[in-house]
Amino acid sequence: MSGRTIKLVVVGAMVGAMSAGTLLAETHKEFHFNVGTKAGVSVNNPYGSISVKPSAGNTVTINAVLYSDKVEVDSSQTGNRVEIQSHLLPGATAESGRVDYEVLVPADASLTLHSNTGSLHAEKLHGDVTLEGAASTVDIRDITSAHVHVKTLNGPVTLTNVQDGHVEVDSLSGEVTLIRVTGPLVQVISTSGGINYTGDFGDSGEYRLTSHSGNIEATVPDSTSADVTASSVRGEVHDDIPLQPKTHTSFIVRQGSAFVGTMGRAAVSSTVVLRSFSGKIHLRKRTAK
Amino acid sequence: MNCVELQESLAEIEDGSRADQRAHLKTCAECSALVADLNLIASSAIDLREAEEPSPRVWNSIEIAVRQLEAELNLIASSAIELREAEEPSPRVWNSIEIALRQEGLIRPPRSSRSLLPSLSSRWAWARWMVPAAAVLLIAVGVYVRQHSLAQQLATDLATHPASAAVSDVAIAGLNDDDLLQEVSEQTPAMKAQYADNLRSVNEYIQDAKGNVDANPNDEEARRSLLEAYQEKAMLFELAMDRTQP
Repeated sequence: MSGRTIKLVVVGAMVGAMSAGTLLAETHKEFHFNVGTKAGVSVNNPYGSISVKPSAGNTVTINAVLYSDKVEVDSSQTGNRVEIQSHLLPGATAESGRVDYEVLVPADASLTLHSNTGSLHAEKLHGDVTLEGAASTVDIRDITSAHVHVKTLNGPVTLTNVQDGHVEVDSLSGEVTLIRVTGPLVQVISTSGGINYTGDFGDSGEYRLTSHSGNIEATVPDSTSADVTASSVRGEVHDDIPLQPKTHTSFIVRQGSAFVGTMGRAAVSSTVVLRSFSGKIHLRKRTAK
Repeated sequence: MNCVELQESLAEIEDGSRADQRAHLKTCAECSALVADLNLIASSAIDLREAEEPSPRVWNSIEIAVRQLEAELNLIASSAIELREAEEPSPRVWNSIEIALRQEGLIRPPRSSRSLLPSLSSRWAWARWMVPAAAVLLIAVGVYVRQHSLAQQLATDLATHPASAAVSDVAIAGLNDDDLLQEVSEQTPAMKAQYADNLRSVNEYIQDAKGNVDANPNDEEARRSLLEAYQEKAMLFELAMDRTQP
């Protein structure tokens, strides 16, 4: 055996030992709670991801992966409410305090998730969903008839197929993407992050997309019916879709920085307000694929 | 009376007019500043309330906040009743109370250099007051931006009485950018640059929104934008406070 081969074997053994050590440091914990209808479930996890999916019955199941002994999982049930908390012990860091959760809840449960750094994911639910994360990536999909509230510092937010929802998203600098999101109220406020909306704005809701310096882009199909107001204080405003102009507006429409009009059937339409200060606004038609 | 006792007594008599409160305020600059801030906010709220009723949106926001608070208090109360009725409380009861108190920010893991008791004399104590103060501020701003006649009156007041300018400034709610950044840099240094960038952006947002309201006092959307800008800043502080309370 050559010297080089021996070195490779030694290095391989060390890497293997380190990997085994890492795996051994992980701890799996599982919790089960029986709940009634419209239960409340709260997960507060400073470091790590939280993924929530619907369960088959009236059971809340928590699967937690702890990455060190610097963190514990505290769980409690009070009546119809389940609370899970990652309990950081002295000396815990973002790495050693990490816990990844996979949570199964009844589809009608109300959900509150909080994480600073991990990804937050919820899908196929029809209870209210509240997600808060600093740098967390937020992914919400297939939610119906529920309130969806999201707050992030700079983590990107993606909402997909949220129907008949009361949606409020606040983000300082994270990109916000809404795909097929409709409901009585859909509101996004961003300071510097961009906002992308792809969908038809429903048929009777209020849609307000506001950003200070981020760009706003809405891509809609031909069938969309909406009263649209778009204005930017210093940014450009583009409209690829011919709108029926409105003669009466509450502000002076300056070419290139604002437009107001109706698309589709005015009698059955949503109200859409797109506003920015320095970001660009672009209303475009979705091309058939 | 010490700072903690004064803080508790403000729940009953918030203007610091009681004899023992006055005695403490004479010797404590921080508490004096706090009481002055609370009095200013209270007087501003009265002025705004007398002008006109706020919009349904404002009342709706207040109602939601009150309901959330009520639900949390009920949870703590039910845990307390369960605790009182048991001779030896189960670990589950202690656990649930601990989680509730930690979420409220009332307890923290032990630190060698910090007291578990909230103290007005600690540098980060203003954070205890940040959320209610920010809520009051947002309500005030909401009313402000809703009523252009009042906005114009305030604009005149701001020009003639510089002290009134503080009413519409986040500083009145104790939202001090430097304090925030220093705390973030101590607790999560890696996030300081991100918070600094976002602070700068949201301050620009507020300034632009203010300018837009001044230029278009009859534009309801402009006033709404100003409210939203303040909401963004309040959210930034809220997120920062969450991060510093593991």
